[in-house]
Formats: sequence, structure tokens, C-alpha cells
Amino acid sequence: MNNTLNAHTVGTRSESGTRDNFCQELHREIMRLRRFSNRGLWALSLFLLVCIAAWNDFSFFPLPEAFAASLGKPPSAQAVSIMLLIYTFSAIILTLSRMTAGIEHRSSFCHVGYLTVFFLFYHFAKALDDNYWAVFSAGITILGVESYRIWSFCREVIARKTEQLEYVERTGQIPTEE
Amino acid sequence: MFKTLAGRALVPVGLAVTGFVVVCCLLLYSAIRRGINNYAVSEATNLADTILKSTRYAMLKSDRETLATIVRNIGEQKGVEHVRIFNKKGVVNISAKAGEINRQLDKKSEGCIVCHLGPVPITTLGTMQQARRFENSAHKEVLAITAPIYNEPECFNAACHIHPSSQKILGTLDIGLSQDSLFKSLATIRIQMIIFTVMTLMLTIGGVTAMLRRSVFLPMQRLRKFVEESGKRENRLAAPPHLPQDLDRIAHCYHDLLIKLESAEQDRIASRDVSSKK
Repeated sequence: MNNTLNAHTVGTRSESGTRDNFCQELHREIMRLRRFSNRGLWALSLFLLVCIAAWNDFSFFPLPEAFAASLGKPPSAQAVSIMLLIYTFSAIILTLSRMTAGIEHRSSFCHVGYLTVFFLFYHFAKALDDNYWAVFSAGITILGVESYRIWSFCREVIARKTEQLEYVERTGQIPTEE
Repeated sequence: MFKTLAGRALVPVGLAVTGFVVVCCLLLYSAIRRGINNYAVSEATNLADTILKSTRYAMLKSDRETLATIVRNIGEQKGVEHVRIFNKKGVVNISAKAGEINRQLDKKSEGCIVCHLGPVPITTLGTMQQARRFENSAHKEVLAITAPIYNEPECFNAACHIHPSSQKILGTLDIGLSQDSLFKSLATIRIQMIIFTVMTLMLTIGGVTAMLRRSVFLPMQRLRKFVEESGKRENRLAAPPHLPQDLDRIAHCYHDLLIKLESAEQDRIASRDVSSKK
């Protein structure tokens, strides 16, 4: 009789421990997703900083002539424009595909890198004045769609996790995996 | 806005299409502007060459009066802001504006520094390097071309002339053309492109919205209304509306479920009546 009671108590404790662990895990996951949902905005802010530097003609970088003397002639502005167009198209398609598939992908900051490289290429080709707004618009579009993708993904997952948390609190049981 | 199905479907599509069309238009405008600018420079360089060829004979004959008349006449033409011929020391020898004659030009000034940057001046320049843009005293944007006047065998072999054969450049022709017509053309292209972009965006977003509304949102609304109406007792077994394929199946399944529920309820009521009569 005593042994059965002990086994039951141990079973209840272990069940309660698993449930607490599960709840803590859910809380941690919700917190992580809340932080992750701002990732697109952080990338957008970083891009705006790069835009300010580009607006000031990258005053902290060597002059295009000095750069050309050490590394050779940069690609023509026309070639850079064609690459920018292909990149913008591919990036938007990729983001929309990830949005459709519901994939959690952390790609925002690499886009800031690519866009900075486009600014630099135009700067060294002495065509930044003519193409500044094109890179700016491309950046705002790509990072805007990417931010929306990350934010909507996180919102959906947070809603699901919150539902699971409410279910555990209501029933005291761990919900079955979908 | 982001909570509704319409918002969630249209925001990313609208953002992506708008952004991409704007990027395309900006790149296209930049390419058109570059092309028009290059064309303007090449036209101005050709004009400078034409002037040099037209004045060559007068220069060979040292006919300063004819030379001054040609330069003055060109200077009076619409769109020509200035025409000057400098000697090697940078003194204006002939100009369309009488006040500029005998004025000394600083070698460090814009247009001169390109060749006079180093200790030995450059004697040959590419078409684009000959061009410079600036705002003149009348606050007009000017495209100026500096074309060197080279020393040729006819010059240093002529009896009347004093140029040694070692002297490569005898002087410079400087012609400035107003950029007003160029800016007007660019402004027209810009306005046309903005109108084109706005129309494309309106058509794309409007088309997507209309299609989504007709194919998804309105049938969804009808399905929701049908489900809500079915909740009321009097409309419980009303036939589902005609909807697109997937939604139609959902509506029919729901309707079948309601019929089964209704029949089960009637069976239960009937059995209860029978048992109460017993």
C-alpha cells in the first residue's frame, strides 16, 4: 500500500516536473521569438546607417582613384546596375518563397552586407550620386519584405506557443505534437 | 490591417511589387540620364571640333578679324553661353564677349586643372575628360568643352608664324553650352516615368486585389455568413451557397454534418417520447 502511494507521488512529481520544464521551454521560446521578430528592424536600422555613410560619400574610405590604383579598375556602373537588378529580383523571390514555406531563416543582416557592397561598387565607379536612390529603394524593399516575413512568422509561432501554454495551464497536461 | 486575410495577402505583394518597380525605374532613369549626358558631351565635342576646323584657315592666315567674327557669331547662337580661344599662357585672345579679351585665366581653375595638375601638362584628353559642368555667373548650368589647338606642320612651317615645332599645343578653345534643354528633356522623362510607375502599380495592386477579392475574400465572407446563419435554429438546414471548389466542399461537409446532427437529435427526441409513453 505504502509502496503504491510512493510510486504514485513520484509519478505525480515527475509529471509535474515535465510540465514545468515544458512551460519554461515555451516561455523561453516565446521570449526568443519576440527578440527574433525585431531582427528585420535591426537590419533596417543598420542599413539606414550605411545609407547615411553613403550619402556622405564614404568620407572615411580611400578616394576611388586611390582604390583603383591599388586594386584595379572597378566594374562599370552599368554592370553594377544590372547586378543590382538581378539581386533585387532574386532576393524578393527568395523572401516570398520563404514566406510561403513558413521557414525560419535569419538572412536579414547578410542583405545589409550585399547592399553595402553595391554602394561601395558605385562609389568606386564614381556613380554613387546617380544610383544612390536605386540602392536605397532596393534596400528598403528587400529589408521591408524580409522584416515582414520574420515578424509574421514569429507572430504565428508565438500565437501557437501561447495557445499551448494556455492549454497546459487549463488542463495540466502537455499538448500532443501536431 | 495585418490581422485580416486581405492585409496579410496584400501587404507583402504590394511592398515587393512597389519596391521592385521603383528600383527598376530609378535604374532606368539613371541609365537614360547617363546616356543623354554622354550624348550631350559628344555633341559638344563635335561642335568644338567643327569650330576649330572652321577657324583653322583664319588662324593659319592670322586673320584675327575673321576669327573674331566667327567666334562672335557662334557665341550669339541660342544655347551657347561662351566661346573663347586662349593662348598657351592662358590669356583670352578671342571671345564672343568683348569684356573677356586679354583676361588671364588661372591654371588651377576648373577646366584647366585637368591638364595642369602635374608639373608637365597633359596634351591629350578623352572626350569625357574634356567636358566639365558648372554654374556660371548668370546661375545657369553650363556644359563646357575644352579642346586643345594642336601645332601642325602647316603652322610651324608657315612663313608668318613663330611657333617652334617642339611646341605641341598653341592654345585652347573653350565653348560652354547651356544645359537648360537637357534638363527640360530629363524632367519630361522623369514625369513620364513617375506616371508610368504609378499606373503600373495601380494596375498590378488593383488587379491582385480585385482577383483576391473575387476568388478568395468574397467566397470566404459567404462561407462565414453561411456558418453563422446555420447556428440559428430556423436556418439550420438551409442549403449552402455556391462557392469555389475548396470552399464549396467545406460548406457541403458542414451542411452534411448539420443534417446528421439534426437527424440524430430527432431520433433522440423520438426515443425519449416513446420511453415516456411507456
